[in-house]
Amino acid sequence: MLTRRTFTNAAGGLLAAGALGYAFVPRRARWQHQVPAGRVALRYWEKWTGPEGDAVQRVVDRFNASQDRSFVVRLPVPETYSKAMVAIGGGDPPDLVGLFSWNVPYFAESGALMPLDDLDLGAYAPAVAELLTHDGRTWAGVNTCYTLALYANRAHLAEAGADTIADGGELPRTLDELDAIAERLIRRDARGRLERAGFLQAVPSWWPYLWPLTHGARLFDEDERRVTCDSDGSVAAYEWVSRTAERHGRADSLGFARGFERSNLSPADPFLTGKVSMTVQGPWMANFARRYAPDLDYAVAPMPVAASVYDPERPQGLLEADVIGIPRDCPHPDEALEFLAFTQRPEVQAELCAEHCKPSPMRVKPDGFFEDHPNPFAAVHDAIVHSPNAAVLPRHRAWKGYSDLIVPAFERIWTGADARATLGDVARRAQALVDRADAARARREERA
Amino acid sequence: MTRRSDLAAGLAWTGPFWIGFALFTVIPVVLSIAYGFTQYDLIEAPLPVGLDNYREVARDAVFWRALANTGLFAFASVALNTVVALGLAALLEQKLRGREFVRALVFAPTLVPISAVAVGWLWLLHRDDGLVNAGLAAVGVQGPDWLGDARWALASLVFMSAWVVGAQVVVYTAALRDVPKSLLEAAAIDGAGPLSRFVRVTLPTISPAIAFNTIVSAIWALQVFALPLIMTRGGPQNSTLVVSMYVYQNAFQYGRMGYASTLAWIQFALTCALTLVAVRIARTRVTSRAGAGL
Repeated sequence: MLTRRTFTNAAGGLLAAGALGYAFVPRRARWQHQVPAGRVALRYWEKWTGPEGDAVQRVVDRFNASQDRSFVVRLPVPETYSKAMVAIGGGDPPDLVGLFSWNVPYFAESGALMPLDDLDLGAYAPAVAELLTHDGRTWAGVNTCYTLALYANRAHLAEAGADTIADGGELPRTLDELDAIAERLIRRDARGRLERAGFLQAVPSWWPYLWPLTHGARLFDEDERRVTCDSDGSVAAYEWVSRTAERHGRADSLGFARGFERSNLSPADPFLTGKVSMTVQGPWMANFARRYAPDLDYAVAPMPVAASVYDPERPQGLLEADVIGIPRDCPHPDEALEFLAFTQRPEVQAELCAEHCKPSPMRVKPDGFFEDHPNPFAAVHDAIVHSPNAAVLPRHRAWKGYSDLIVPAFERIWTGADARATLGDVARRAQALVDRADAARARREERA
Repeated sequence: MTRRSDLAAGLAWTGPFWIGFALFTVIPVVLSIAYGFTQYDLIEAPLPVGLDNYREVARDAVFWRALANTGLFAFASVALNTVVALGLAALLEQKLRGREFVRALVFAPTLVPISAVAVGWLWLLHRDDGLVNAGLAAVGVQGPDWLGDARWALASLVFMSAWVVGAQVVVYTAALRDVPKSLLEAAAIDGAGPLSRFVRVTLPTISPAIAFNTIVSAIWALQVFALPLIMTRGGPQNSTLVVSMYVYQNAFQYGRMGYASTLAWIQFALTCALTLVAVRIARTRVTSRAGAGL
């Protein structure tokens, strides 16, 4: 006889079996719905959104239209590198992943990317080619590159009496020139608080590790595996930062800078709204200026440096690239490689770089690249790409941890801490990170 | 039905939970203990390093800073939240017009996602355009840079945490309604004033609720993560870096899952130890209505 209990158990069992069955029935994921039947679906994780994302999407669309074997679906993923790390480690990587060039050493050493040894490195600007390689092998293709340069508001400069500059002359070339002009551009309100700054290294706060370049110093000696943020040049650079803070009022200027933390590259961007007259920024600033401040009259020049290292033929500046790689054990490596090769075509990179307002990472640019470029100062950024003095971020897997030590150190120096002592402390701790990572790598290699 | 078939039926019905619990809690927890003794970056196989991670913790100045920040935040926010919640609950028990509306208002912030609360407070605490400093300026006080000044940032987060005391207020309200009127009347007849009645009668009577709220909010505060991540990202000068954030940074930004596991277990052990101390103290200090310990 069917008791109530038996019935309940049977019904529950059926329900559970149904749920399990449903869970294991193969279905297409939501991202695959747009993939035409018969084509291999490729997942491409990329960081960009908005107009920059749209520009990448156009590249993807061109590829999808150019053949009928595979179909790339671009998925915007913030903090791509950390999510890719989890996905690759978890055995469910995308087919293609967009990373920063400073991620390459970490992903390469971990064997997280497929080597791309057939990529023709000769096609790239030499400094860019270096960013794609690690330990003698190529791990990624390039997907635009950028350099940082000085952006200056011409109207402000004219107002401050820097007429030569306002008339199209040269922007400040040395730190002394920069400081002299910046000083004249400061405006304070009735309470004495900063209302406008000429130039602050804390606006934007994204590159607290940039400033050693102004003195020709570097953060890491790759050959010696030594952290060098406490070198004399680096200390001099941060002492210059400290002097800037002191001139502007340490606490007031830091508060002023922090007020823009969430408005950079928005309609309330401090440079676009005239809150700071000069700033170090990437080429994308031209895109945002066009959108949010089309009437802004600005000029761009290589980042000013100490007079002792100034060389107009070999500008200093930070060079980094956005790169595209194929994760280890991705579902469709051959098709992914086909798309990656497509993105490396000079005309594709030229189009993407132009839409991002960036210089080209390629050795040879298509005819008319600069003439048709929407960034009127693309050539300035390009000159840094090809400069022997272009610097890149430390190419070590411990760089993220190292850079996170520099952030509070920069703030401490800004608020008055001794630069040499502070940087010495950072160097000691960062060196420990580097040594530990190197030791682990050596042990892994021994075991292998 | 036999005892065995009862057990089988019970397991069958609760099976999905046990499977999920094992997959998403027990196994990761056990693995994280093991990972704490390895160098593991998620991508490569874990490399055994013995007690190296624990030795590194001992020398890691950033961890100790984060631990101090976490302790300070927990202590200050629990104290402030207890006072604010108790005060609000006592106030809302008075026969005031519109108190139901105010009670709903007090509880409402707990329904808002913490990220939305954090973004709202970012603007309220903005140095130049924030409502808080505008209010202070109206009375002639120049407000500080709440989130940008290392001396004020952690205090601002503590202050903000009092925004979500709604749940505690509900517990205290229920406890206050449970205070026997006869005791309060007897105390009044004996000449006790309102303050004396509150301190000597009400507080001891609701002490189980205070203990419960204190322990729960201490556990929450020791694991605080979203608030500093969204509002200050641990800055300025690591003044708001908390242990949970440091665990996250190591695990997912530096690719040091082994070290992050070590940190997480230390955090767990400290939280457990503090909770046990709190429970022990509560046992001796808290009285139930029957006069027995907790």
